[in-house]
Amino acid sequence: MHIPDAFIPLPQAAVYWIIALIFIALSLRWARKEMRDDKIPLVAVLAAGIFAIQAINVPIPWGTSGHMMGAALAAIVLGSPFAAVFVLTLVLIVQGVLFGDGGLTVMGANIINMGVIGGFVGFYSYRGLSPLFKNVYPAAFIAGWLSLFIAALVCAVEMAIAGTFPLELGLFSMGLYHAVIGVIEGGITAVAIYLIHTARPDIMAEPSGMVSS
Amino acid sequence: MNTKTFLLAGLAVALVIAAMAPFIASSNPDGLESAFFGIFGAKEIQGSEINEEHAEAAEEEIAAITGNDFSFESPFPDYSIEGLSKFGEAAAIIIGTVLVLGIAFGLSRIMARPE
Repeated sequence: MHIPDAFIPLPQAAVYWIIALIFIALSLRWARKEMRDDKIPLVAVLAAGIFAIQAINVPIPWGTSGHMMGAALAAIVLGSPFAAVFVLTLVLIVQGVLFGDGGLTVMGANIINMGVIGGFVGFYSYRGLSPLFKNVYPAAFIAGWLSLFIAALVCAVEMAIAGTFPLELGLFSMGLYHAVIGVIEGGITAVAIYLIHTARPDIMAEPSGMVSS
Repeated sequence: MNTKTFLLAGLAVALVIAAMAPFIASSNPDGLESAFFGIFGAKEIQGSEINEEHAEAAEEEIAAITGNDFSFESPFPDYSIEGLSKFGEAAAIIIGTVLVLGIAFGLSRIMARPE
């Protein structure tokens, strides 16, 4: 759901940049306050892995494709929605500047959708659902699905404000495609958390007591 | 698994994914593009045929509607390296993966507080 430049008028794109910059500043404050030295390699490997997995577009019905976003995963593993903002901002800058994937004037909107919305929805739904299921894996799946689905709906609203999509048709088509792409997001999020937890139960930010083994 | 092994395994997974990506990724439009083509009549929202002519016209039309005609020539447009095929794409994605790793490592190093 990388928005290209032409989809948003410049004044609106500037507003999204300002909002994004506030969250980027907060994510840097998170890094300064919460990120410990020993977490650095994990942050770097997660960012690299998220960049790589975003290059794999999986075909879905309706002649469409989609890829994982990774914000929920970053937020859950690192224990803060701001971690997702931190990681996704870096990924989006490299994608936009080096590969022309996602516009530059509209990068603020992309950071809001994939980093902020993805990170916050993913993190808090995981937090809320884990005790409900008494098992983190279904919670991680739903958190991943929701993070992508809600981000897509927010994107559709931005497109409506931009005059690019009519609101209803935008919400319908973005919702339809991303309800399916969300299954990929949820699945990989749950599997990645399982693998990380199996290899290194201590490295997850969440209390590992919640993980059923 | 010790920390070094864990991180090397993670990096290896990332690089394998990066190298495979161009060979297995779908070239269908992504969700947002597909919605755009559907809304602008280059494709049925629940169909899979894209009318290339209409798709191109839609891209010109949208820049006129929003007035945002900013364009920028990125060094590796669409993850490709000029003159190279799928292997060039794999190389581009590997370069990107290593670069993201380096930037994330460097910035975290500057920001993080010591143990």
